[in-house]
Amino acid sequence: MQHLSVVLALALVGYPLLIAPSTAIMVIGAVALALCCLGILFSTPVLVAGVVLALGEYALALWLWAGPLRLTGAVLLGVGLVVLLETGDNARRARHAARGPGVVTSQLRYWAVLGALSGMGALVLTSVARAASGSVRLPWVPAIAAAGAGVALIAIAIGLAGGRSLARD
Amino acid sequence: MTPLALSVVTIGGWGLVLGVLSGRVELVVVVLPLLVGLLRVVRTSPRPDWSVAHAVSSNRVFEGERVTVTVTVSAAQAVPLLELFEPLPPALRLVTGHTRGFFTLARGQEVHWKYEVECLRRGRVTLGTVHARLWDRSGLRAGETSLRVPWQLRVYPRVRPLRRLPRPRRTQISVGNYVAARVGEGLEPGDIRAFVPGDRVRHVNWRASLRLRRLFVTQYHQERNADVVLMLDTLTEAGAPPATTLDVSIRAAAALATAYLARKDRVGLIEYCGPFRWIRPDSGRAHHERLLEALLRADVMFSYVSQEVALVPRRVLPPQALVIAISPLLDVRFEKAVVDLAARGFDLVVLSPSPIPLVRRASRPTPSVDLACRLWLLERRARADTLRRLGITVVEWDPAEPLEAALGALSRPRRRGMVR
Repeated sequence: MQHLSVVLALALVGYPLLIAPSTAIMVIGAVALALCCLGILFSTPVLVAGVVLALGEYALALWLWAGPLRLTGAVLLGVGLVVLLETGDNARRARHAARGPGVVTSQLRYWAVLGALSGMGALVLTSVARAASGSVRLPWVPAIAAAGAGVALIAIAIGLAGGRSLARD
Repeated sequence: MTPLALSVVTIGGWGLVLGVLSGRVELVVVVLPLLVGLLRVVRTSPRPDWSVAHAVSSNRVFEGERVTVTVTVSAAQAVPLLELFEPLPPALRLVTGHTRGFFTLARGQEVHWKYEVECLRRGRVTLGTVHARLWDRSGLRAGETSLRVPWQLRVYPRVRPLRRLPRPRRTQISVGNYVAARVGEGLEPGDIRAFVPGDRVRHVNWRASLRLRRLFVTQYHQERNADVVLMLDTLTEAGAPPATTLDVSIRAAAALATAYLARKDRVGLIEYCGPFRWIRPDSGRAHHERLLEALLRADVMFSYVSQEVALVPRRVLPPQALVIAISPLLDVRFEKAVVDLAARGFDLVVLSPSPIPLVRRASRPTPSVDLACRLWLLERRARADTLRRLGITVVEWDPAEPLEAALGALSRPRRRGMVR
C-alpha cells in the first residue's frame, strides 16, 4: 500500500510540472514529494503538509500558465488526492501490524469504488456548476464563494465531530 | 474525529482558499472529490458484533522458552476494519509476528492471528487486555474499546543442569545416591566375605564360591541420602530485570533443587523475607513442582519484621541438613540469620551471587560508577571474610559465569570457611 501511495504522490507533484514546467515548481514539487513520502511512513500531519505544498505548487502552475480551464485533469488530480490520503493513512496505521486475510483486497476494492464515485460526483457537480454559471449571474461572486466554502467546511467539521462512535458495547 | 478526517477538512479548506484567492476554479474542482467523499460518513453502518478468544501453545513454561499465542477473532456480523492491539508485559518479548493486527471479517467468519513470545522472567504473567479500534472503511470514523480476555502464563525459573554439587557432611539412612563406608543394603558392591548362617542367598558371590570351593557373599555399601535446605534471601535485590540478584538466586535455587532431587535427596526451601516462608524437605517429582511453584512466587517483600532462625520448626530445618544460603549479602538481617545457623552447628554453605556485575550492566559506564563498584567489591570481600572467619563457607559467584564453575570447589569434602 505504501508503494501505491508513493506513486499517487508522484502523480500529484508531477502533474503541475506538465502544466508549467519551471524550476520553482520543480523545487516545490520535490519538497512536497519528500514530505508526502515521510508522511506515508511516519505521520499523517506530515503527509497533509506535503499535500498542502503540492496544492500550492498546482496553484502556482495554474497562475504561471494562465490558459483555459483544465477541469478533467483537476477532477483526476482530486481523485488521486482522495486515494492518496486514504492509502497513506492506511499504510501508516497498518505498519508493524499483522493483516488478516482479505484486508488488502477489500480495501483496494473500496478505494477503486471510492475513486470512481467521488470522481463521477465531482464531474456531475462541475457540469451542473458550469450549466448554472451560464444562466445565473450573482454580484460579489468571490465573496459568496468564500463564504459558501467556509460554511461548507464548518458544517463538515461539525458533522464529523458529532458522528456516532462505532465502538463495541 | 480521526486524523484522516481532520486532514481531509484541512486540505479541502486549503483548496477552497487557494481557489478563491487565485480565482482558478480548478483548485475548487480538485478538492471536490475530497468533499464528495466525505458524504460517506453520513451513511450509518449497523453495530458490529464480534468476539476474541485466546489460545496458547503452553501455559507452563521455563524462562527462555517460547510460547505461540493464537488469537481467534470471530464476527456474528460483518466488520469492515478491526484493529486489535495486545500489549505485552515486560516479562515477555515478542519474537515473531505482531501484537497488533488489522482484520476484515465477513458475517460468521473467524480469523486466527498468531504471534510468538519469549518468556524473559519467571512469574505469573497475566495477559488478555485487548485494545480494539473499529474503523469504518474510509478511516474517517473510529470507535475504541478494551476487552478483558484473561489468560495466565506460569513462567518457571530456568533450570541449568548441575553435575557437581556441594557434598553434605551428614547423610541419613534412607535410599539415596551417597555411598557410605558402612556395609548394608545397597547396590554398590563392597567386600567379599565367607558365608555365615543368616546371610541371604541372593548375596552369594557364585564366581568366588566356585573358584575357592566355599561359599562367599558380597557385601554392599549402604546408600544414603541427605536433607538439603535452600535458604533464599528475598529481603532485597539489585540490578535490572530479568537479571536482578533475586532472579539469579532463584535460578540457582531451582538448579540446586533439581540436581539434589535427582540424587534422591530431600530438599526443602526457606524464603527469608523478614518473616520466614518455607516448604518442608521432601523428595519426588511432586515435591519438585511444589518447589518450583514456590520459587515462582518468590519476590522481594518489604518488611520491618526480622524473625529468628530458632522459630523455624525442626521438621523444616533438620539439624543434620546441609543448608545452602543463597544471598547477595545486601541485608544485614540475612547475615545475622546465617551466623545464627552456623552457631547452631548446621552444615552451612553461603552461595553469594555478586550484585556488582548486574548493577554495572544496568548502569551507564562512568568513572564514578566504576569507582563505586570497586569500593563495593572491597566491602563485599570484607563481609565475606568476616563470615569465613566465623567458619562459614562462602562461595562468591559472578552470575555471568556458570553456577557449576562456582560450585566446583565444593564437590570435594570441605574444610570450614576455605572456599573462595
